[in-house]
Amino acid sequence: MEFTEVIGIRRSIRFFDPDRPVEREKIQKILEAMRLGSCAMNAHWLRAIVVHRSELDAETFEKLKLPVAGVVMELAPVQIYCYGDLSVIARDHGKQPKLLIDAGALAPSHGWTHRFVDDFVWPQVLEPLSKNPGYPVAMAFDNGGCATQGLLMAFEEGLGACWTAFNTEVAKEAFGVPDHWVPHYVMNLGYPLESRDAGGQRPRPPFEELYFEGRVGKPFRRDQAVVQELERRNMIQPPAPLPGRTEELRQLARQLGLPE
Amino acid sequence: MLDRPIESYDSVAAWVAGLKQQWGGDPFAEDPVKPQTLEAFCRFVDKDPDALVAFCFLRKKATGERFASKKRRDELLLKLKEFETAAGRGVEARRRRSHVVSFLSHNGILIY
Repeated sequence: MEFTEVIGIRRSIRFFDPDRPVEREKIQKILEAMRLGSCAMNAHWLRAIVVHRSELDAETFEKLKLPVAGVVMELAPVQIYCYGDLSVIARDHGKQPKLLIDAGALAPSHGWTHRFVDDFVWPQVLEPLSKNPGYPVAMAFDNGGCATQGLLMAFEEGLGACWTAFNTEVAKEAFGVPDHWVPHYVMNLGYPLESRDAGGQRPRPPFEELYFEGRVGKPFRRDQAVVQELERRNMIQPPAPLPGRTEELRQLARQLGLPE
Repeated sequence: MLDRPIESYDSVAAWVAGLKQQWGGDPFAEDPVKPQTLEAFCRFVDKDPDALVAFCFLRKKATGERFASKKRRDELLLKLKEFETAAGRGVEARRRRSHVVSFLSHNGILIY
């Protein structure tokens, strides 16, 4: 699938085939995609725990579910629980930026040397950052980017996925999560029972309300020629609800015995 | 408990209105099992439909503000599981539970 189409076809899928397992290699591809995400200082805070729903005892699984996410979690055969490891920076002590220098990603042309890392980046940026209350926010931003790469890979592989919250205390106990891991979300994963377009592309706020040029209040001008090109390339797709969506939702609810 | 036809309760009217808005048609005429299942559940917990909805809400002592009580919903969930299990296993049993969950959802109560 073209990159633009992968973005275009991604939906939060909430109806999965509960009995169709997800191939192990597809799960690995998702994790591989996460690992290649952009991350400040090559820190790679993201940690993920793959859990097969059928291998969890029923009592634990019941406790893991939050009410709003309950049906999604119950239908998805696989869950990938995502966390941020807060200990990375303190443990790494500036090794990762040096790896980037050695790999030719960072160069003296931009001020990057091993000495600069030892004398400035570590003591004046990274170490203070690791103690700053805003640190988890910065980490979460990068982790969201990495995790989204995995999400898109799921759709590239013909799967469906949906992020939800989960009971973090139960997960901590059940999966042996260390204290210094901050919980993010769980990716619910499986083969969609919904049609490929899943009722159409979801409503979004107007482009001009989200993005600005130069200063806040001056919207970034949206060129309709670009919109049309992205429509041709299947990134921008017909908006929800598509005809027949209501019938599809009802049929899915009945098929799975879910509330109407 | 149920001292009049189930359709006459406000909460059931709200359920019907919600179903109509979501799916169109005449929900009870198309699927009479829905009100029958709710009636069976009401008998099971010994509460009428309006009382069932009211049971899920409490008021904060300090402000009088109404809120959906987790404890009450958990209590109801246990009853719902019993009700489902009494019908066996599989999609049909689940559907029995789902009719009640649908009634509650269309009255603003999420139980899962």
